[in-house]
Parts: sequence; structure tokens; C-alpha cells
Amino acid sequence: MTTLQHFLIGDNSFLGISHLSQARGRSVGLSLGTEDKVKIIEKAASCGATGFTFSTDPTNFEVLRGLASSDQIKDDFAVYPVLPYAARYVRVVNEKGITGLMNDVLSSLSAVEKARLIVHSGISTLTFNPIGAMMAYIDSELSQIPKEAKIRSVLLHEVITDLGVSFRATEIFQSFTQHIRNKWHATPGFVTRNFPKFVDLCHEINQPLSDILIMTPFNSIGFQMNPSRESCEAYLTRVGDGKIIAMSILAAGYIPLYDAVAYIRNLSGISGVVVGVSSLDHSEVTFRTLRESL
Amino acid sequence: MKRVGVIGLGKMGILHAGIVNQLPNSRIQAVCEKEKLVEEIAKKLLPKGIQFYDDHVEMATKEDLDAVFITTPIESHTAIIVDLAKVKPDLSLFVEKPLAASGSLAKTACDAVGNLHAEHMVGFQKRYSPLFMEAKRMIDLKSIGELMFFRAYLYSSDVLREGKSWRFKNGTGGVLLDLAPHLLDLLLWFFGDVQSVSGARRRMYSKSVDDYTHACFEFESGLTGHMDASWSVRGYRLPEIAIEIYGKDGTMTLTDDELKIAYATAEGKMRSFNNQSFNTSVPFLLANPEYTVEDQTFLDSIDKKSHPTPDFSEAAKVNFLIDRIQAATQQ
Repeated sequence: MTTLQHFLIGDNSFLGISHLSQARGRSVGLSLGTEDKVKIIEKAASCGATGFTFSTDPTNFEVLRGLASSDQIKDDFAVYPVLPYAARYVRVVNEKGITGLMNDVLSSLSAVEKARLIVHSGISTLTFNPIGAMMAYIDSELSQIPKEAKIRSVLLHEVITDLGVSFRATEIFQSFTQHIRNKWHATPGFVTRNFPKFVDLCHEINQPLSDILIMTPFNSIGFQMNPSRESCEAYLTRVGDGKIIAMSILAAGYIPLYDAVAYIRNLSGISGVVVGVSSLDHSEVTFRTLRESL
Repeated sequence: MKRVGVIGLGKMGILHAGIVNQLPNSRIQAVCEKEKLVEEIAKKLLPKGIQFYDDHVEMATKEDLDAVFITTPIESHTAIIVDLAKVKPDLSLFVEKPLAASGSLAKTACDAVGNLHAEHMVGFQKRYSPLFMEAKRMIDLKSIGELMFFRAYLYSSDVLREGKSWRFKNGTGGVLLDLAPHLLDLLLWFFGDVQSVSGARRRMYSKSVDDYTHACFEFESGLTGHMDASWSVRGYRLPEIAIEIYGKDGTMTLTDDELKIAYATAEGKMRSFNNQSFNTSVPFLLANPEYTVEDQTFLDSIDKKSHPTPDFSEAAKVNFLIDRIQAATQQ
């Protein structure tokens, strides 16, 4: 076992997400205000959390502004945004369709970015560059993060990563990787729930795993590990010096913390963990335990 | 290797195409999309080998396909099914729920494929969730004794203002056609055919379709119960189903992520399941595992001739029930 480098606090409970009980997640999410969330992150940081990973939901930008003015957050505490925030866009698709979604995304960009993407006015089917639009959208989202925040990695949401894996849309991965490194000077990251297939694709396109972060589920019951827990564990031996951040280590609260820690301790090849917490006490117990044990 | 076509590259088309393209022994060979912009973007991002069409008959005729996923707006389902059954009777068809926009159109779709030997399935994926499968098993085993009554709801926060897509047009949208079919299919699956219906519906944000439906049912078994369906309830990040079933020997509470059974015994025994209680790993995951299981069941059925459920005639019952709820709640 190697000592982990990334101890991240996640935002699921802040957004009312629980993969164990939607009702419980909704109740927790509604009960937490921005100030509560900032205090929970401050507590996590004081107990050893090294960063905050979050979806680019407007409520999280408020939390980041709170962290920026906090004297409890040290300079080396980093942020790891995940985008796009899929749930928001699913709702837009329901309301306006796919074309309506693209119009919405484009309308959120600056005039300069729009001019760069579209030669003629409006969306032209011939001149529209979807990858360019995606990078402009990413810039637009990341520009809302306060300057004080240290962006260590920008991660592509699993919906895009896994669709890219399915269709071998390697241009998306290559463009994203270059863009995040060159423009944002951060490590490109990918969230995936199909870890072995993602690793296979990286090898196929000669993407060095040491240059990226991979955030993917690892837990003792195989929850959200596809095609199987055994296959995911076997692929850990193929990532060399790749940086793997284990998510869902508690299987959304189904697995006790000490059991989760015991499982992660026995895996080689894990560089970090991400855990969501919903109260000050929960934050303290969780991150003290993780730092003492991993 | 099953060669698959997708008609309609919206949210559900992209989801099914993404899954099917990674399942063992299947790949996406062709896509039919009428919106030019969506087609052009897909051409730029999808593998070069995929063929694109804007006409489903042309796609079915020119491509040597084993199966087609129909993921277009609801009102177009029946015409597409009729066309494909005519030009390619051996093509297996998967239709995203509901089968059609009305009971009569659902019947037309059933009649079109009635004598064909291919497989025909409708995408009610909740039937492939382990929790709902376990609940169905418990109900069939009379685990909580003779059923007395139930209450159910399906809520989402999808519509908090007037929308512009086909989901908001009279005859093709509204909460009853767009969201409620999932719950209606589960109720029919669990409890059998419905004897009588009453209820009420109303509009909150939409001008042409209903945002809320309340329906009371009496099933042929004698069971009674009611459901509420609304896509305009704040605080629901994802659509959420809950069904509480009261039996003479206990109570069953079922949601998308929990199944609890409280037995009315002296010991007060309780059984509880989450999705984590089951092995839900799948060959390739997009969204929820039940979509993968559903797609795999459909594609496997082509060789096995195993007739996956719900087939068109079973799924049509949802449309017939929607018609009855609409008739019983005329405003």
C-alpha cells in the first residue's frame, strides 16, 4: 500500500444527492446553506482533506466564494471541478430539446467566443465546431471559480467520458486534455464508471495515464464498478504510475467507514479518495479516520 | 454481432446508442435523425463507420439491420412502427416508452406487428431494476398477505415553467404521457388489470398540457389505491417513485432506492433492501444499470426468441389506462 496524496471532500450531500436514499439526500441538501457547507469543508480541511471536488452548479460557486474569504483554508487546499453538471442539462433537454440545449450553452458564452465558434450568425450546421464549443463552454464555467481557488485538476463528467468511451470519440479526450493543461495549467481528469474500458482506450490512443487523473468507483461490494469489481481491481495493476482517485468508497453510506478504509488499504494503485459528508461531526470523523488509516 | 439502428438522437437515443455500442455482440450501424444540426454534430463526433439518414424507411431498407431503437417524440412512434413492419418485417423493434400517444395508436402499433416473428419491446426500464423485481416477486408470493390498498406517487422537478419541446404539446405530452407511464406500468405489472378509474388533473406552469394528475383505481382483483404524478414539484433532482402497499400481513414501501417490508407479526419483523443489496454491475454503464440490462435483454431475445417484456400488447395497456384516466378527468 502507498500513502495517498488526494483526500477530497465531494459535493453530493451539498446538492441533495444520495445514491442510498434519494429522500434522505433531498432532505440533507435542503437543510444545508452556503455557510454550513463552507464550515463543513473548513472542518474537513482542518482534519486533513486536501481538496474539494464539485459539479459546476451555481450553489457550489457560492461555496467557493465563501472558501476564498475563509482564513481556515490554507493555500495548498485545491479544487477539482467536474463538468458539465449533467443533471442541469438533462432538465434543459426535457424542456427545449437537444437543439435548445445547444442554443442555451452558446448563449452563455461571450461574444468573442461565439464569434470564434460560429462564422455566420446563429448556429450553422456546416460551421459549427462541437469540440470548440465544448472547450469554450468549459472556459465559461471555470471562469466563475474565484481567482483565489487553486485548481489542481479539471475533470470531465462521467456522462461525457463514458459516451466518449462508447463511441471512441478520442478527439474529445485529446482536445480536453490539451486544453486543460495549456489554458488552465491543471491536470486533466476523467470521471468514469467503466474503468477498464477507459484504461483500454487510453492505451489504444497512447494517452499516458501518468498525465491524467481518473476518478472511478472502488468499494468492497462492487457498487457502480463495471463490468465487475474483479475486473476493475485487475486493471489497477495496468495503470502503472497513473493517478486513480477512488470514489463511492462507502457505496453511498452502505459500507461502514472502517470497512471501506480496510478495503482501500489493500488495493495498490490508488492515489486518493473522495468522500461526501453532511455535517461538522461527520466531516471530522471521516477525514481524521482517512488520514490516520490511508 | 447484432447490427443496430437508432431512430431519433435525442436524450434517450444517445443513451441507448451509447449502451448498445458497448454491449458484447452488438454495435450501432446506422442513425436516423431529422434535425440537421444534431445530425451534423453526431457525424463529427461518432465513429466514421456509422451511416446517417433522415428517413427511417430508407435506413431500414438500405442497411442490413437486426434491430432498431425508436427514440423519437411519442407522437411519431406508431407511424414509424407501421412503416418498419411493412418494409422490414423481420426487424426487431425497441420503442422508448410509452408505446404510442393514445390507446388507438397503440392498438395500431400492436396490429402492425401482431403476425410478425421478430421481437418487439417497449422501454419500461424500471422492470429491470433489482428493487422493483424483488418487490414484484414478494407481491406474487403474497409476502404481505392479501393486499388491501396502496398509494403511490411519481414526482420530478422537470417543469417549473412553460416548456417548448414536444413534451408540452397537447396530445403528445403532459405529465400523464411523459412521466406517469413508468408508474402506471409498474402498477399494472404488480396488480393486474384495472376495473375502474376516477381522478383529477390540473395545469400549473404549462398552457396546453397537465402538470399534475391524481387517479384512483379499482383493480379487477378488488384492490384499490391512488396515485399522484407531477413533474412540477420542487426539490426532486431526479424523478422519484414511491409505492406504499398495505396487506393484511404487513406493509411494503418501495422507492427507486429502497424496499422495506414491515411484517405485522408479534416480533415486528422488518426486511430492507437497497440497490447496494444486489450485484448491479453491468458490461457497460450509462445512467442506471437497468437501462443496460433492458437493452441486453432485448438484443439477446433476438436469437433466443425469448419475447422480452413488456412486449407491445402489454405496453399498450399503459396507453389504454392513460386514455381512461384522461376520459375520467375531463376538465
